[in-house]
Amino acid sequence: MMVQRLTRMPRIFTILLAILLMAGSDAGASKYKRSIENVVIPDVVLVNQQGEKVRLKSLLESDQPVLVDFIYATCTTICPILSAGFANFQRELGPETKNARLVSITIDPENDTPAAMKEYLERYQAQPGWDFLTGSRQDVDRVMKAFNAYFRSKMDHQPLSFIRSQEDGKWIRLYGLMSSSDLMKEFQQRGGK
Amino acid sequence: MMHSSQTFTAFMTKVAIVHVAVLLLLVGASRSYGAADQQALSAEETYKLGERMYREGILPSGEPMQAFVSGDVPVSGTSFTCVSCHLRSGLGSIEGEVSTPPANGRILYLPREPYIKGYEHVPSYHNYAVYFPTRPAYTDDTLAELITSGVDPAGRSVIKAMPIYDLNDQDMAILIAYLKTLSAQPSPGVSDSEIKFATVIVEGTDPVAVASMLAPLEFGIARKNSLTTASSANDRVARMGYNMLGPDLLQKKFSLTRWVLKGPSSTWRSQLDAYYQAEPVFALLGGISAGDWEPVHRFCEENQIPDLLPIVDYPVISDHDWYTLYFSRGVRQEGESAARYLHGMYDLIKDRAIVQVSRDSREGRALADGFRATWADTGHPAAIDIVLKEGEQFSQQRLQQIITELKPAALIVWDDGAALEAFAGLPDMADRPGVILASGTFVGKALWTIPEQLRGLLSFTYPYRLPQDDIRFDALALKVLPGKKTSDYDQKIIRQSYITNELLGKALMDMRGEYYRDFFFDTIGMMPDAYYPLYERVGFGPGQRYASKGCFIVQLGKGENPQLERRSEWVTR
Repeated sequence: MMVQRLTRMPRIFTILLAILLMAGSDAGASKYKRSIENVVIPDVVLVNQQGEKVRLKSLLESDQPVLVDFIYATCTTICPILSAGFANFQRELGPETKNARLVSITIDPENDTPAAMKEYLERYQAQPGWDFLTGSRQDVDRVMKAFNAYFRSKMDHQPLSFIRSQEDGKWIRLYGLMSSSDLMKEFQQRGGK
Repeated sequence: MMHSSQTFTAFMTKVAIVHVAVLLLLVGASRSYGAADQQALSAEETYKLGERMYREGILPSGEPMQAFVSGDVPVSGTSFTCVSCHLRSGLGSIEGEVSTPPANGRILYLPREPYIKGYEHVPSYHNYAVYFPTRPAYTDDTLAELITSGVDPAGRSVIKAMPIYDLNDQDMAILIAYLKTLSAQPSPGVSDSEIKFATVIVEGTDPVAVASMLAPLEFGIARKNSLTTASSANDRVARMGYNMLGPDLLQKKFSLTRWVLKGPSSTWRSQLDAYYQAEPVFALLGGISAGDWEPVHRFCEENQIPDLLPIVDYPVISDHDWYTLYFSRGVRQEGESAARYLHGMYDLIKDRAIVQVSRDSREGRALADGFRATWADTGHPAAIDIVLKEGEQFSQQRLQQIITELKPAALIVWDDGAALEAFAGLPDMADRPGVILASGTFVGKALWTIPEQLRGLLSFTYPYRLPQDDIRFDALALKVLPGKKTSDYDQKIIRQSYITNELLGKALMDMRGEYYRDFFFDTIGMMPDAYYPLYERVGFGPGQRYASKGCFIVQLGKGENPQLERRSEWVTR
């Protein structure tokens, strides 16, 4: 009912942040926020793009360094940039791709079926070592909350990437749309190479 | 695609050369990216090629466009298209913390001010306008510079958020020509004083269902039109309406015409064409059919007319069609969720058989098809299919025969409530399946009559919020029936149509006076997931066409007044 909705009308506009767009930033210079986080990975079983069950704790707490982001397959803005970054990261690593595990976790589990996730990874020419995970809404919510990356709706999401060091198990939380070189730099600083 | 930093450097060098060339042209005679560059192409060819660049990231040559994002990340234009962010209408997007300004020629070629002319004092418009920095009007040259170098006419870099594209002059001209067509001509059905809508009703549909579909829509439209009328006579109402809607939407009245389709569905298309010719409408709202809908879907697709949430059991399932938004994937969705549910417990099934019994009716076939398709996606061996012909009862003997001969680990029965009688002796049967699944909607009211001893043995797909949880939305949903007896209406359809009315109002208010059909659905695609009556969660997301995607698996609880109890979380396909 239109009349009753009116008081909520400006809501969508109040979340507008043009800081990432036309903010007068230097070309190519990433501005992102970096922090170190302790993340307690919930013991949930998610499903990857092959439809295989994956115990998240085992996947993330491995001997390899791990990169995590939260995306969804039909996203029009943030996720393509994050995924282009992951794709380029794999290209930069080249034959050493196996030295890092990339994990994208959907924030739209209702829509992101294994088939949709597989098609998405193919679109970004993902190499082995980059998995896209879905699961029940409840489990995905638990994971998002564990990473302090909870979005009530997929349309409220933020550009967040995480890198886990296999040395101390801590996570670097990276907030912002990063350049490929900055992502690689962060990766290497936390025990990648 | 370019894969190395050397290639990127080479590209940037080329960009710099282009800039010098553009500057030289600006000093002398300005370069034209308009018609002069496209003499060899017809306007239609230019449009098609431009559309492919914009939507698919494919150059006229057939090669992918080359792009870089976030400064130095090389990407293929096919995975980073213009439409990704500026959307089909070209009017931009708002998602999470990133907002993308319009990219259509009509707006680009005007200076951007910190206000929208004519709407300076409307809060929502003001909030939108002030977030984007001002800039001079684009020209063909400065637009080309933005696309190739990421620098806008005010000298600001947008390189962090927008890809830069490596385009030659001819391709650039084609793309710019296309941008000039985006949201350029007003959509049909919209005038200064009115927005016309229609709703399609298939003759023969249950009159209660039709009335239930219409009531919320007509209520919403009457309320809107009352506000418009009142605002012309009352300054206080006018001020409130202005602040909420802006002068443009406030003064427009809405109309809703009923397009009734008669006869076989093969004749509907000509009827739809005649209705539309007589009265071009901006969009279709709702609509209802107990059976076919595809001709209406195709009509909307081919005429690019949005249809917002028709009430149908058999929506067209498509990954790429654009112009109809559906509540769900229909009956089929329960079959899909059943497959996903069984997949989740496959460790308990392992190599044992799964049997799918389905009624040879439209409903039974849709459920069985949905199960079969999703089960195939999981990679498990196919279920054993048994089809019940017309008039063939699913009996206790048949059930016993299936169990004895096939010993299924899971049995799925897609049939109506009469089939439940077959399970009367189930508690005493040896080797009974660990899981027996049926459709809660196909079984219908018989679901509530299941004897106590069977309730823990039979599970059902249920594509709605559980009734006891939905009660809290009742007052909201039934506000659309003021002074009417609510029991005269179909409770499910009333709630569905309530959602349609809500989305319509929200979308029109978010559209900032840009009444373009593509922007209508672009806008709905940008809305956050919402909690409405009936469905557990309603949300589209960009390009998504089915709002609610899944089911609960439920069982009937104990006692004389049992409730449905969840046996799963929300299971999607």
